Parts: sequence; structure tokens; C-alpha cells
Amino acid sequence: MSLLPQLQRIPPACWLGVALLLMLAFAVQVGAMPVHLNDWLDLPKMLDWFVQDKPTQTLSAGAHVLFNLRVPRLLLAVLVGASLGLSGALTQSLFRNPLAEPGLLGVSAGAACAAALTIVILSEMPLAVIAPVRAWLLPLAAFAGALAVCFALEQMARWMAPGSIAALLLTGIAVNALAGAVIGLCTYLADDEQLRSLSFWTLGSVAGAQWLWVWLFASLLGTAYYRLRHSMQTLNALALGEAAARQIGVDVPGLRKQIIVWVALLAGLAVAFCGMISFVGLIAPHLVRLWVGPDQRRVLPLAMLLGGLLLLVADTLARVVAVPAEIPVGIFTALIGGPFFFLLVRQARSQVR
Amino acid sequence: MHPKPSVALLQLNDIRLSLGSDCKESQAPKSFKLCISPGERLAILGPSGAGKTTLLRLMALDASPIKGVVLFKGRTQQSWATAELSRHRAVMPQSCQVAFGLEVKLVIALGRVARRSDPFVSDIVFEAARLARVDHLLSRRCDTLSGGEFARVHLARVFAQLWDTRDGLILVDEPLSALDLGLQEIILKALDRFATERQHAIIAVLHDVNHALRAFDRLLLVKEGQLYADIASKSQAVPLFESLYGLSLECLRTVDDALVVSPRSNRCGVA
Amino acid sequence: MISNASSSQGLLSRRQALGFLAGCAAVAISACPSIVRASPRKRVVSIGGALTEILFTLEADNDLVGVDSTSIYPPRAIGYPNVGYARQLSAEGVLSLRPSHILATEEAGPPAILKQIAAAGTRITLLPAKHKYVGLRQRVLGVGQVLERTETAQLVLEQLDSTWDQVQRQIAAQIRASAVRPVRVLFVLAHSPAQVLVAGASTAAQSMLRYAGATNAARGFKGYKPITPEGMIAAQPDCVLVTEQGLHTAGGLEAILKLPGLDQTPAGRAQAVIAMDALRLLGFGPRMPEAVLALHQAFHAL
Repeated sequence: MSLLPQLQRIPPACWLGVALLLMLAFAVQVGAMPVHLNDWLDLPKMLDWFVQDKPTQTLSAGAHVLFNLRVPRLLLAVLVGASLGLSGALTQSLFRNPLAEPGLLGVSAGAACAAALTIVILSEMPLAVIAPVRAWLLPLAAFAGALAVCFALEQMARWMAPGSIAALLLTGIAVNALAGAVIGLCTYLADDEQLRSLSFWTLGSVAGAQWLWVWLFASLLGTAYYRLRHSMQTLNALALGEAAARQIGVDVPGLRKQIIVWVALLAGLAVAFCGMISFVGLIAPHLVRLWVGPDQRRVLPLAMLLGGLLLLVADTLARVVAVPAEIPVGIFTALIGGPFFFLLVRQARSQVR
Repeated sequence: MHPKPSVALLQLNDIRLSLGSDCKESQAPKSFKLCISPGERLAILGPSGAGKTTLLRLMALDASPIKGVVLFKGRTQQSWATAELSRHRAVMPQSCQVAFGLEVKLVIALGRVARRSDPFVSDIVFEAARLARVDHLLSRRCDTLSGGEFARVHLARVFAQLWDTRDGLILVDEPLSALDLGLQEIILKALDRFATERQHAIIAVLHDVNHALRAFDRLLLVKEGQLYADIASKSQAVPLFESLYGLSLECLRTVDDALVVSPRSNRCGVA
Repeated sequence: MISNASSSQGLLSRRQALGFLAGCAAVAISACPSIVRASPRKRVVSIGGALTEILFTLEADNDLVGVDSTSIYPPRAIGYPNVGYARQLSAEGVLSLRPSHILATEEAGPPAILKQIAAAGTRITLLPAKHKYVGLRQRVLGVGQVLERTETAQLVLEQLDSTWDQVQRQIAAQIRASAVRPVRVLFVLAHSPAQVLVAGASTAAQSMLRYAGATNAARGFKGYKPITPEGMIAAQPDCVLVTEQGLHTAGGLEAILKLPGLDQTPAGRAQAVIAMDALRLLGFGPRMPEAVLALHQAFHAL
């Protein structure tokens, strides 16, 4: 009996952190390729490779899969999940509604649409764009697409009934449909090679993970958290409404711009590298709010942890369910997230005063 | 008019409330001038749609006037940074939805969000809550409160916002509309006490003329987008009320010699 | 460095202990397969039905360790471990078969995954179809090279060449003899009633039609594109060609005949629908010559 109060004193961040580490430890063991203890001993060779950039021919097959495929993929899943969780929490505080999420509102679709257009346009261009530029052009295009949709949504939200989530979700449906149509058009215009890359955007997968992407997302998340850590209380102020927030001294336009840029960066880059993975940004913050309450100072960091955990679980399922083939992770998040969204809507409607 | 002190808290020069575009030139709204001193108690009265809320918003530096200039402590709206302004003036809204069901404690603390360092915030929150009689609700979520409790939470927030300043300005927009009689008394008293201790001025938009007569020294009467009258809160105000609302009023005196007005009922006698 | 104080205590001196640990580590490290060499026995994963066919024709099925979902011929190919859909490969799934070589058609992807597999030390050989007979030859040669069965490959090639020669002469002769205009054929992919695609230029289907002495009724575009009922009528095909798998998915002959606009064409009026197995028709594998002949004879019989 004396254990329960002790357990309740442990901060939620600890619980989530431990759960994440346990899940990582589990996920790194499972997969199509059996990995043995011996393979772990190749870690020094791996670190040496990092430092000296030698080719990996001295690694065993298991070690190669472990360190170059599986570990970066797991870490990327956690980081992208955390990005999505954070962008979901930020979107919900911006629109003052627990049903808002970058995927539902069309931000991810906008990013995918911009990326698809870039692929098609690049292929039509007479001069060949060199591969590294092309590789970075896509994430940039995705970010721009996400940013454009965010601004459009924001204008729409202020022009229509402020605080009306119905208007926002309708706009999101329209944006999703429009983006889908543009992607469909690109698919029509594309020749087969591009077609394969276009279909990637709609399903979402962390399969192509590279260490470079892991570092990129780690620094992105670190920077985001660092820049936002003092804004969390002002994010709480947004819940009072724009007018009231202004009256208590919050620079509302500046804060809004800051949130939009971060949401566009986090969601846009997630789409650029991993395709459309929806619902993580909806479920993670919502579950966290059910657990610790709506204070953004607790919700933002915990949504990151929980988002990372959720995507890691989904990706592990995706890798393991149909061995040796694998299912795109976006399918799992939609399978779980869709019904969850219906539950949320029902709950929200029953609470309407 | 009242004797003007040397430093005005709030000054409205050559202000027009509305454009009055569909009026004839002779009926166009005239611009007016207002001067409010520190520590004054001012009530804004008038029929619905007269422009009371517009006037309040102008005074809160929330909106820019169509014509004229508003000076708060001698500075224009543009020269006040949002954070700095929030430390000198607070607005209690008529209704304010709080998304996400934040905790009452947090909502009150939000009144002080613009301060960079705030070592005593928990004490101030508690004291403000006590003054507004919501200290028993601190751990409750906002979406579980009744209308009256919610109004008091916003009052506590206003208190917390201006707790450690003096000569500030509190603006309230119909704060008593959804409250029962007992609560109306409590809130008016708490507001009065808070403002007196800190020399804050209070400007309130009110519906109930009696509240205005009882608790406020100065009345602004607004009708059809114009400043109708700017008078002391006394019995001479009654004829102006009658033409403001288009009613005939009876004056009554209570045992404490306070003035109460009531609409005169027209009895059609059928003998 | 040995500290005098500890050397007289305990079972082992510090130096001896370190030496023992180093020895254990050395044993452990050397125990794991430390180099990805080409093992003496090849382990080949074949991605693409045509390449699997060629591999079986070269009698190299001992080297085969995995196939993809389009490898359906010969029937015993289906029994091998399946790495899934060629366009959505899983790096770990492929690598778990520890392949030394991968034979891939142009369909294999995504490109990032192929790069990952190559980075693991597996040799990937891409053998596209080129939609020409010479492409088939190159494939046979390429597979033979990878599997180190070049003589067998040469034999197979000679056989294919002679068959192809024969087929071409037969077709040419029949065309000269019949002296009618070439048959207009429309190749249709009807996965759903809403989404009806036809093959245009630069497709495997058009190449096969051309080889079989027919012409593509659909003109003016490349690849697989949707067609409108008006387009169908304007094309006026004499015959509709589908894959057997496509026919089954669409719901049988009646469903194909119900395609909008078809009833206003000669093909619809004559109910001329020809179905052939997808891999045999479009794979550009070893069965290509006889598939061309079968097509030609089917068109001729209309």
C-alpha cells in the first residue's frame, strides 16, 4: 500500500523515459535479420568508421544491419515521433483546440504536395540538378509547403468564427483534398521512376533512415525545445483567447509566427524525410493532457516523449508483422489513430456546453 | 467637470466613437475630450449598441480611434510595449472562454505572465484568489466552474496582474451581468477595496444604473455613438438617465440615504 | 605496470588478468563473422519474375535464396522465401537472407533502400527489360555472368535466338499472306471500374503488340494513362488485350465488355478479348518468343 504514493511521486517524464528506453532495447532485438551479441561487439569498429569514414566492409552482416540500418531507423522513429508530438501540441495550443493536428489540418498534405511538385518540376528541367542539391531541395520544398498551409489556416481561422474547430477541420479537409488532387496530377504526369517516389509521400515510412537524418532531427528538436522552453507559459496564455492574451502582455502576433514556423519546420521536415505519418501529433498531446493536465509547460516535453514512443511502437510493428516484407508505418498510425479520433470527437461533442 | 490634476492617467483627445456615415452632417457624431485621473471611479452607461464597449476598448488601448488620440500616462498607444502596458492596466472581459480547462491556479498566474522574473507569484496568486473569494477553487479546472465562479476567477486574475503596481487602470465590461445579487455585492466590494489600496482607477461598463450610482463617482453616458454626458454621480443625473433610456424614473432614498432609481410603472387605471 | 602491493595478493597478478581478458576478447571477436566476403556458395535473391524465370532456365536454382512477389513462374519459384513487393523492399528483410548477389529488374525500389542494401556489401545487378528482344538477350547474358554459368547461358541464348528467328519469319510470312491491315489492339489495365488505364508508347505491352504484328490502337501518349469513353471509341480497337490476373481482378469477361465506350468499337461488337498471363506477356523473360507467336496467332484468328 505504501508503494502507490511512492509511484505517484515519480514524475511522468521518468515513466515515459524509462518506457522509451525499454522499448528501444526491445525493438533493437527484433527484426527480419537476427542479431547476435557478437554483432554488438563490433561497436568499436563502427565508431572508428564514423571518425575515419572508412567503408564498412569489416563489419559482420549482422553488425552492419544493426548499426547502419536498425539503430538509425529506431532513433529516427523516436525523433520523428517526438517532432510530430511537439508539432501537434503546438498546433493545438495555436488553434486552442484539442482536435487540431498538422495531419488533419492539411499541413502534412501541403508539405507532401510541395515535395511532389518539386519532383515533377525537377525532372522537367532541362539542366540536370546535381544530386546533393536535389536531396536538400525536397525538404526545403516540404517546409515551404507546410508553411504556406499553416499561414492559410491561420488566416482562415481568424476570418471565420474564431475558435471554431469545425471551420478549421473543414479547411483541413479542403486542403487535404486539394493536395491529394495535386499529387494525383503529378502522378499522372510523372513517368514511372518518379511515380515510385510520389507514392512514398502518402504512406509514410522511416525505412530509409540514415545517420545524417538522425543528427538533423536531433539538432532540430534540440533547437526547438531550447527556443520554446521560455514560451510555454505564454502558450498557456493563448488559451484565454487572443484579446485576453494581448491584454495580459503577450505579443500574440509574434508568438503566433514563432509557433507557425516551428510547426511547419517540424511537420514539414518529418514529411520530407518520412512521408505522411498522421495522428501521432493528435494522440500524443491528447493522452498527455489526460494524464497530467493541460499546462503546456508539462504537455510540450511529455508530448515529445510520448510521440517518440508511439512512433517507435508503430514502426516496430510495421517491421515485424509481415517479415521479411514490411508495411509502411503510416498505415499503422492511421489504423490506430482513426478510431481514436472518432472517440475524441464523440467526447468533445458530449462536453459542448 | 471635475478639477483636473496635473498628471492625467488617461486622456482622450478629440475622439469620435463612430463614423456615422449614414447621418446627415448636422447629426454626425461630435468628437469629445475626456480626462481621467488616478484613482477615479468611472461608470459607462447607455442603451445597447450605443458604443459603450467601443469606448471601453479605446480606453484600454485595445483599439485605435477612428479620429483623435488616446494617451495613457501621457504616452500614445504605439509607444506602449504590450508587456509593459499589461503591468499598468488590466481588463476584465465580459465573457472569456478558457480552452483546455486550465487549472484556476494557472489562469490566475497568467495575469503575471508578462513579467520576466516573478519570485512571489504563488503567494500573489493565493492572495488574489482570496480577495476574489475563489481560494477554495484553486485546484479546480476552469471548465468545471459555474458562471459566477468563472467571473471571480477572472477578477482574481486582474488582481494578480496589478497586484504590485500603483496608479494603474482596471477596465471591466459588464462584470455583473450573469451574477446573483449576493455575488454582485462581493465583487463590487472586492474591486473597490483592491483599487483603493493601490490607487488604481476603475472604469466599468454597467447595465444597472443603481450600481453606478452607488459605487462610482463619475458617470459617462453614451448614446448612439456619442458621449451624451459626463457628470457626477448624484441626483442631478436622474433627468439625464430618463432621456438616455427613454423611460420615466422614480427616485427613492434608502435608510442610509443612498439614491435608488426605478422605472416608473404606468398604471392604466380602470375605474 | 605491476604494483608490488597487489602482485602478492589474489590468484592472478594484474598483468596476468589483463592478458586473460584480452585473450577472451580476441576469441570472442574472431568468433563472429567479421568480413562480408563473397562466400564460395552464392546466395542470390531474384527480384523480378522474368529474372527468376531466367535463373531457373539456367538451372541455377541451387543458388537461389529468395524471390519477390512477381516471381510466379515456374511454379516451384513460389516456394522460396518472399521479400515482398519489388517496389517496396525492406532492407532488413532482404539482408536477413544474407544474399551475396541481387538480380533486379527496373521495378526494384525504393532507390534509397537499394542503396542501403548495396552499402551492406551485397552486389546488385540491374537488368532492365528495354522492351526489346535484345533486352532479353542482355538479361540472359547478365544473369549467366552473375551466376557464373556463362556456357549454359550461351546455350539458352542460341536456343532463344533460333526460336525468335522462327517466330519472326512465321509472323512476317503470315502478314504477307493475309494482306489485311494490321490488327488494332488496345491493352487495358482495369484494376477498378473507375480507373481504366491503357498502354501507350514506351510500354512493354506496345512492344509485344508490335512484335506480334499488331498496332496499338491508343496513340499520342507514353506510359499507362486513363482513357475516356470518347477516347475508347475514337481508338476503334479490333481487339482488347488484358492480362489474366487483370481479367480476374476486374471481374471476368463481362466486366471488360462493359467498359464504357467499348460497345461502339469493333472489339466490343465482336466481343474480342484476349487474356494472357502477365509475366508471360509483359515480363520479357525466356517465354517471350513463344508469347509473341501465341499473340500473333490469336490476333490472326479474329
